[in-house]
Amino acid sequence: MTELAWGRRYLMCPPRHFGVLYEINPWMHREVVVDPDIAMAQWEGLAATLRSAGAAVEVIEPQQHVPDMVFTANAGLVSGRRFVPSHFRHPERQAETEVFAAWFAAAGHEVRRLPAASTHEGAGDALPFSPTDGPPVLLSGYRPRSDAAAATELGALLGCPVRAVELVDERLYHVDLTFCPLDDRRAICAPLGWDAYGRKVVEALVPEPLWLTDDEALAFTANSVVVGTTVVMPVVPVRVGRQLEAWGFTPVAVDVGEFLKAGGGCRCLTLALDVTLSSTSPAG
Amino acid sequence: MPTETVVVAGHIVDSLILAKVLDLVVDAGADYVMAEVVIGRTNLDPSHARIELTHDDADALDALCERLAVHGASRVGDIDAELVVADRDGVLPAGFHATTNLATDVRVGGRWRSVENPEMDCGLVISDDAVRTVPMHGVRAGDRVVVGHGGVRTHAPSSARGVRNFEFMTSEVSSEKPKALLVVQVAERVRAARAAGRRVLAVCGPAVVHTGGAPDVARLVRAGWIDVLFAGNGFATHDMESNVHGTSLGVSVTSGGGVEGGHSNHLRLINEVRRHGSIAAAVEAGFITGGTMYECVRAGVPFVLGGSIRDDGPLPDVLTDVVAAADAMRALVAGVGVALMLASTLHAIATGNVLPAGVETFCVDINQAVVTKLADRGSHQALGVVTDVGPFVGGLADELCGIGS
Repeated sequence: MTELAWGRRYLMCPPRHFGVLYEINPWMHREVVVDPDIAMAQWEGLAATLRSAGAAVEVIEPQQHVPDMVFTANAGLVSGRRFVPSHFRHPERQAETEVFAAWFAAAGHEVRRLPAASTHEGAGDALPFSPTDGPPVLLSGYRPRSDAAAATELGALLGCPVRAVELVDERLYHVDLTFCPLDDRRAICAPLGWDAYGRKVVEALVPEPLWLTDDEALAFTANSVVVGTTVVMPVVPVRVGRQLEAWGFTPVAVDVGEFLKAGGGCRCLTLALDVTLSSTSPAG
Repeated sequence: MPTETVVVAGHIVDSLILAKVLDLVVDAGADYVMAEVVIGRTNLDPSHARIELTHDDADALDALCERLAVHGASRVGDIDAELVVADRDGVLPAGFHATTNLATDVRVGGRWRSVENPEMDCGLVISDDAVRTVPMHGVRAGDRVVVGHGGVRTHAPSSARGVRNFEFMTSEVSSEKPKALLVVQVAERVRAARAAGRRVLAVCGPAVVHTGGAPDVARLVRAGWIDVLFAGNGFATHDMESNVHGTSLGVSVTSGGGVEGGHSNHLRLINEVRRHGSIAAAVEAGFITGGTMYECVRAGVPFVLGGSIRDDGPLPDVLTDVVAAADAMRALVAGVGVALMLASTLHAIATGNVLPAGVETFCVDINQAVVTKLADRGSHQALGVVTDVGPFVGGLADELCGIGS
């Protein structure tokens, strides 16, 4: 087993303007009130847990009127010094694109754009799996939030193979609610989210999947962050925790309950900055 | 039959996207043809598939295309064509779109524009006022050339094989047809093309003369039924040989017997026409007094005589540069509605190469293989009439010009 080559540096956005102000997934209900103090405490708890696991956390300033900016996983995709900002499906989030693009440009990244007509929601809908004997493969979800065709364009922009799987359960609207790579052989997998083709794609890609039951999947178990051998999770079902420990991981539960009200867990609140997807230089 | 073309690209094999798309096509009751599949060499390389879909219900096909779009299979033509500027004369950019002979549209600046001169095996060049097919040798540095398949769509002929009211010929090529009825039907198509303001092209092989059909082709030209003639050195030579010497390749066209010294008649004919400088000059000088070439000169019907490596002479009008000959043919096919391929293999195939698929093409030959060859080289619209060409053109001339005219 080889630890993930990435996951030691994250971008996060503090929840100063966070709230459930609109409904764009089945978890969001505007009548639900977010407690800003609890949200901030949970967010700081997550950042502290990541730091103590050995990760660095960088912070982007939150902007008014874009409450979901706190979910930095959807900012875009990073590969080395290249950044491809997301094109969001819903108008409510589209203003985030330029905010994140400007941050990455200022940080010295080369910002490359998807075609204007393509929709893709970044690392929320595409996670790398690096098999022992092959190059990194990006597993990309499509249908609820991202276009299948965008996977092709991402492959060209990032110089890596992209396998697009259809997300068929509206409650699992991003691929990061269904998939969490653990190392070069293992990943937490929620088959509830995929169609039969997608399940076969994952079976072919991941030698030792940790299959989640439907209840575990809907509790956001897969929306976890891996730092070396530490798995930072919104919830640790007993069965899943035992399996992770048997494999040598340390599962750590972090309460992100205020964010689950908006349909986001630990992974959604972070964007890994140390991902390198291409084994060769991507197409210019 | 309603048809659409979709393109799907990326890591479509490992993602099982291609399998899913094809399953959806079959589930929808549609048929598909994989028009092009390029599988990535390694698992890093993207793959590409162009899939032609047919369904007997246009609405169902439309709904299928909508469903396929979700999986990244986009209808060809939903995007502008990609253009690359040619960087040298006579060389198309790599990845150029290779044309078919079907009616074709190209999307430029969000607007579909029809290709003026559909022709197979060419590139597509976009200018401000036109979209044209251009053969490889015709491209010039600076021309904007379409690459890839995006933004290009083709239209299958609206009726089967481009021929309406020709249901009688249900099989493509057969010797087992009542010839008199076929003659009537071909004559009908010639009349219909003329009524529609289209031109009639005849492509003649030397067997037309050998079998006694040349006077009938001459009759058709004289009566104004043929607007363009393509042939080679052989047809023109034997046509004029029969006028001057009464033989075709040394055999009497009236008695069918050999003639003393006849084997050199065609050489002497060519030699004399060369002395005049051109067929037209030989006609004007009164050396040629009848026959198809004579009637063409008299009626001002343009002809192209394409050379081949085994030609005797050749006649002064023969274009021995084959690229120039093909270009001369291209210049004359605009507006042609019916093509009659009369006992010619090489010139029929050459002509088929420059004709749009919408041209009704009748290939008359005693040898069934000629029609097959023509179709195999992309002229799928060709309908075969397997018969002796001499009696056929006699019947056709009687139909169109009146018996004994």
